[in-house]
Amino acid sequence: MIKFSNVCFAYDKANILENVSFTIEKGEFVAIVGRNGAGKTTLMKLFNGLLKPTSGNVSVSNLDTRLSKTSELARHVGFLFQNPDRQICRNTVKDEIAFGLNCVLDNKSEIEKRCRETIESFGFSGQKDPFSLSRGERQKVALASIIALSPEILVLDEPTTGLDYKECMHIMNIIKELNRSGTTVIMVCHDMELVSDFARRVIVIGDGGILADDMCKKVMLNSAVLARASLAPPQIAELAIRLGDDFGGILTIDEMTDKIESRCLQ
Amino acid sequence: MIEFKDFSFKYKESENFALSGVSLSIQKGDFVGIIGNSGAGKSTFTYALNGIIPHHFEGDFYGEVNVNGLDTVEASPSQLALTVGSVFQDIDGQMVSSVVEDELLFGLENFGVPHDRIESRMVEMLAMVGIEDLRYRNISTLSGGQKQKVAIAAVAALMPDILVLDEPTAELDPQSSLQIFNMLRMLNEKMGITIIVVEQKIMLLSEFSKRLMIINEGRIFLDGTPQEVLKDTGLLRNIGVNCPRVATLAGRLIEKNLYKGDVPVNIGEAEIMVKRIIY
Amino acid sequence: MKGILEYSQGDTVIHRLNPLTKMLIALLLCMSSFLSNNLLAAAAIIALNVIIGHLAGIGKKALSIMATLLKLGAVLFLIQVLLIRTGDKVLDLPLNLYITNTGLKFSLLLVLRLVGATMPLVIMLTVTKMSDLTNVLVQKLHIPYKYAFAFITALRFIPIFEHEMNGIIEAQTARGVEFDTKNPVKKLKLVLPLCVPLLISSVKRIEGSAISAELRGFNVRKKNSGYKKYSFSLLDYSAVLVTVLVLIFSASIV
Repeated sequence: MIKFSNVCFAYDKANILENVSFTIEKGEFVAIVGRNGAGKTTLMKLFNGLLKPTSGNVSVSNLDTRLSKTSELARHVGFLFQNPDRQICRNTVKDEIAFGLNCVLDNKSEIEKRCRETIESFGFSGQKDPFSLSRGERQKVALASIIALSPEILVLDEPTTGLDYKECMHIMNIIKELNRSGTTVIMVCHDMELVSDFARRVIVIGDGGILADDMCKKVMLNSAVLARASLAPPQIAELAIRLGDDFGGILTIDEMTDKIESRCLQ
Repeated sequence: MIEFKDFSFKYKESENFALSGVSLSIQKGDFVGIIGNSGAGKSTFTYALNGIIPHHFEGDFYGEVNVNGLDTVEASPSQLALTVGSVFQDIDGQMVSSVVEDELLFGLENFGVPHDRIESRMVEMLAMVGIEDLRYRNISTLSGGQKQKVAIAAVAALMPDILVLDEPTAELDPQSSLQIFNMLRMLNEKMGITIIVVEQKIMLLSEFSKRLMIINEGRIFLDGTPQEVLKDTGLLRNIGVNCPRVATLAGRLIEKNLYKGDVPVNIGEAEIMVKRIIY
Repeated sequence: MKGILEYSQGDTVIHRLNPLTKMLIALLLCMSSFLSNNLLAAAAIIALNVIIGHLAGIGKKALSIMATLLKLGAVLFLIQVLLIRTGDKVLDLPLNLYITNTGLKFSLLLVLRLVGATMPLVIMLTVTKMSDLTNVLVQKLHIPYKYAFAFITALRFIPIFEHEMNGIIEAQTARGVEFDTKNPVKKLKLVLPLCVPLLISSVKRIEGSAISAELRGFNVRKKNSGYKKYSFSLLDYSAVLVTVLVLIFSASIV
């Protein structure tokens, strides 16, 4: 469980986040959205103590992030960055996965076992040089080496940037599976289509605070909030808004198709 | 005008062709969007245009690429550069200066634009893309979107006939990405520059391109207006290329025999489509 | 110390100096610092550096540069002061170590000189646009553009790589590498493997950068392509004159 209580964060005397409070329960799938510079990345880094709150409290799995080292929090919080190349530092996929495990575990046979399991479940060939792989494959290697630590919470900072649609779907489906088996997922994302496909709860960040925190569907249909955060609603939601009240509440292609069909039958 | 005649290319260390059997021509003033999976050959296509292939990357080059009558194999990259301007994905890497003004000056100075015309050229360009206020700014203090605008302005100031952009909005948020595409549209309409842009954001491509190309496994898979290319959403799904949701919706309605006609490529067209169905 | 060598915008007296003048002043101050044989003179040169920083509107940065250099200097001081054995003992330490008055004076002077000699270059580079420096090197010193550009690009990449390195360290800390340890030896050991990702991303960056420069006519640039002209004004002459006086003064007092 994650709890932010009255969290403020200031950088160079300028407040980036002010009085942010929320709780994320185990097993949730939360998307954090907002324009660039709104403070999303700051918020992300507060989750694992890379940044400490200027005032207020962040507690992750009952640990106060101000009192714990980030490297210790790594057992609880897996953090996938936008750019896999900042993470990958070993010459083979297997070593890369083992590297992270070595940081948090001492038991050699356990490391070996988890390493093998991860490589198998991702279908990698362990001896490959990660730097010879495509960007999407490298992102998968980075994700695998974090999942190998079996964290309770997974924080993703725009995990699909620079990936093509196929790679993007592949990564997202792995994350969805993890979430289904109980991992809490928190994802910063620009792509509202992706957010509406995968997240169940959305937190909108803007003007130094939380503009909205609600079920995904409600936020995606709230054009006032999205406009305030300079976000465009997903295409189908926007189409529904343009078509008027009769189409209110429609977010997916299925819903839209059904609605049009029923209108035709009338 | 650009002409590819049975062009194929294989990188030196690679076993497979990165791109093969490409024959097409692109007319002056067109706005071409290119999409496809990573490794499909999109970047290779742009490299063939600006001469990075074969001048920087070695390999087997077959066929012919002509840009405004220049054969890209014979012309040097610098020679080509006056005809084809290039913008890249790595925003910081492509900058050469610390201040916006100097970034624009770099190309103008290098290509020997007469000094008495440099000032006016610079002022015009900055005004056209709406970044006059950034002229004296330190590049490191700009946002990603602003930096990419500067990079495009610096290349456009050289008045190329063609502008080639390789995923220019990959690192940008939706709002900045939209601004970049609006900027490209303006350069296309006001200066008549032919735009060729590789991009993963299908919604922007289908909204802004006049011609859309899908590259798949080293071949031009589909090529036409966005309406033509996005017609068969199932086909696109099979090769793993994303579709705008409104196009997918149209596909669904066509399947159910509720709709016949052009596939909408933006929300405006989709609205018209739905209204036509229900009224 | 964030963004060391990153250009700091402004329109101060210092900013308006000819880039070459700025480099010359930096060089002269650097020499003055090394030639000073007197603790007070060496300290005065540091003070002068801070004043220049203040005039250039980067007073805070100048102070933080000084603080960092002094911290490094403190380590150097400790080593030096224990190694010098000539002179009168002023303090006896265990393990047959002692501190002498000569050792004290020499070590202190060394530290002050180093600080005083490093500051001017950093300060001047911070208030000089890299492209101006390139142009002036080509126009006035007739250095081939290629070399000037390569040098300047190397300088320009420092903050970019610094930023990249910070990103890498963050990413590694987040996966459990103990970068947040207080032990400097351990930290150093952890940093070394990270040179791999830094190197790879740097090589990619530099390659892209080279291609981008070439496609913007880098290779066809001629000697007189530079648009901006850099003349010397009265301000430049007087600034150099003052610095020369500082040099003479610091070299002559004992």
